[in-house]
Amino acid sequence: MLKVINPGIEVIVEDWPGRLGYLGKGMAPSAAMDNVALGLANLLVGNPKGEAGIEIAGGYFEAEFGADTVISITGTDMQPTINGQPIPIWESLKVSKGDKIKFNHFGTFGFRTYMAVAGGIDVPVYLGSKSTCIFGSYGGYQGRKLQAGDIVDFGHPTLELDSLRGRKLKQDVIPQYAREWVLRAVPGPNTCSDYVTEEGMDYLFNTAFKISHSSNRSAYRLQELKEGFFAREDGGVGGSHPSNIVDHAYAMRGSLNICGNTPVLLIGDGPTLGGYMCVLSVINADLWKVGQGTPSRDFIRFAVCSQDEAVEARRAQRALFDEKSLA
Amino acid sequence: MAQSFYDVILDTLPATESRLEVLFRQAGDGFIQVEYGRAQRANLQDSFRTQVINEIILSKNLPGLIETVPGIRTNLFHFDPEALSVQSLIDTIKEAEESVKSIEDIVVDSRLIHLPIAFEDSETKKAVAKYVKEVRPDAPNVIDGYNLEYIAMCNGVTVEEVKKMLLSTEWYNSGGGFWPGGGFFWPVDPRCAIVVPKYNPPRTWTPEGTVGIGGPCVFTYTTPTGGGYQVFGRTIPTFQFSQKHPLFKDSPFLYKSADRIRFHEVTEQEILHIFEHVHDKTDYQYQIEEGQIVVKEYMEFYNSEAVQRGAREFQAKQREGTKKAPRL
Repeated sequence: MLKVINPGIEVIVEDWPGRLGYLGKGMAPSAAMDNVALGLANLLVGNPKGEAGIEIAGGYFEAEFGADTVISITGTDMQPTINGQPIPIWESLKVSKGDKIKFNHFGTFGFRTYMAVAGGIDVPVYLGSKSTCIFGSYGGYQGRKLQAGDIVDFGHPTLELDSLRGRKLKQDVIPQYAREWVLRAVPGPNTCSDYVTEEGMDYLFNTAFKISHSSNRSAYRLQELKEGFFAREDGGVGGSHPSNIVDHAYAMRGSLNICGNTPVLLIGDGPTLGGYMCVLSVINADLWKVGQGTPSRDFIRFAVCSQDEAVEARRAQRALFDEKSLA
Repeated sequence: MAQSFYDVILDTLPATESRLEVLFRQAGDGFIQVEYGRAQRANLQDSFRTQVINEIILSKNLPGLIETVPGIRTNLFHFDPEALSVQSLIDTIKEAEESVKSIEDIVVDSRLIHLPIAFEDSETKKAVAKYVKEVRPDAPNVIDGYNLEYIAMCNGVTVEEVKKMLLSTEWYNSGGGFWPGGGFFWPVDPRCAIVVPKYNPPRTWTPEGTVGIGGPCVFTYTTPTGGGYQVFGRTIPTFQFSQKHPLFKDSPFLYKSADRIRFHEVTEQEILHIFEHVHDKTDYQYQIEEGQIVVKEYMEFYNSEAVQRGAREFQAKQREGTKKAPRL
């Protein structure tokens, strides 16, 4: 188990792919904001790729291990230490009962760090997932982010701890981070010519959008659209603003929702239905990049992608989480 | 197939006498949206059709189909594109569409759930008072400490008439979404189609069980949360995270798509009593009737002279009311 000393900014239990199948019940999938970092962390400690881990957004998490185990740290480099000594990331290492782990803030690139533990995190499975939905206060560890004094239990490792320590990834498996994140996206369902002008769509796919400071696990807000984006004067029965539409379900996760003049990327804990148009969807295989996008600092750029490429990208990503990725 | 990357209508079915054109819109990698007609409209007959087609598709247990999310005029299909191709899903939906030839064939399974309501109860009054104190002191939608006067004013009727409208029609759930366990309820009788603007800005707190209306939709708040709907009063729990009560044993949700609810007025004391018997004693018996909507009968009712005349008369009052009511 793990005893929380400093809960940091937002430290939560998340798995992957999360709580699927409840959009119509008003429940978003939640899950890890960066499933690639979580999946590779799990691979390093011998867990199934979707097992729950600890997601650390921003930084400053500090905790004490209550048992010997093997862990791995992936994602942005928060310069983690054990008992004050720096530890490597993107590889597995043994920790002992009483060891204290401490994280600084997010690194030069990326925003979230993941910690996987051999055997996974032992929280109740709620509606098919261990993920926390912060916005709805359910799932994960008591439906909330961790607090000082919390005791987080671990599952049972499937292999001997000694066989799991010191595992590393091949260099080309470790994802490339950036300050400008290129997200492949499929246009629709509301595009030109009835909702958005052709110029408006071109603008979306040719602009680097700054990630707003008010972004969170439900929504990444981007800078405002320019004039001439909409191909309609108003939303008809849906409302007075041209971004309004008669309420429809949102393709969660990854849909780019236009709320008034603000593009909002719906992710993790976001709304599942509402009265605003959706102009594109980030492909499943690129959602992880959103999780590493740093609010107020990084930019997002959309790149047009076909259905076939999106499916191929899913296959390529799944292939990463295999023992063959280990060095 | 699409001609340019921005042309997202992957396929269509032409309009027939009983349905609008059906559009298959690309909605992501693993999502398509089926939409009825190109114009925005909110008409229950589109939802009835959505429900029937939805049931046909779900009964096929298609490998790779994760879920569907019906709305009033759209249905979102969420699937694993590695297991189910977009085109084969579209073909399956088209086949289902073609199998429902006319509106007279449509019968929608629809339970009727009876829900008590206490108008202007003390808990929802607290929520309104908190809003005035902490969010918008000059809120024009708060009159005498509550929203009922404003709801009535926007619709050109009295508070008693607006209460009567809420109580005298069944409210139909076009599908859930947005908030855990929530449903979006539309009036079955167009003579009771109350419409109001939403709070601006929204509330920060609404108690569990609050009955509200925003635009044309009624919503029963499933858990304490923020919210933007004008409030009528309070009903009983319609959701239970803990799943302690036998009704919620298999899932925390009460509502299903195409359910209808009908309100009856009770005292606040009665509501509080039921809350205790749902959440603590877990022995409250919900009043739920199995039932159906025969669309042919509904359309006869909807198109009848009396209903259409009544609806037109009410809409005329609403136009007058909307002119007088302050904007939010």
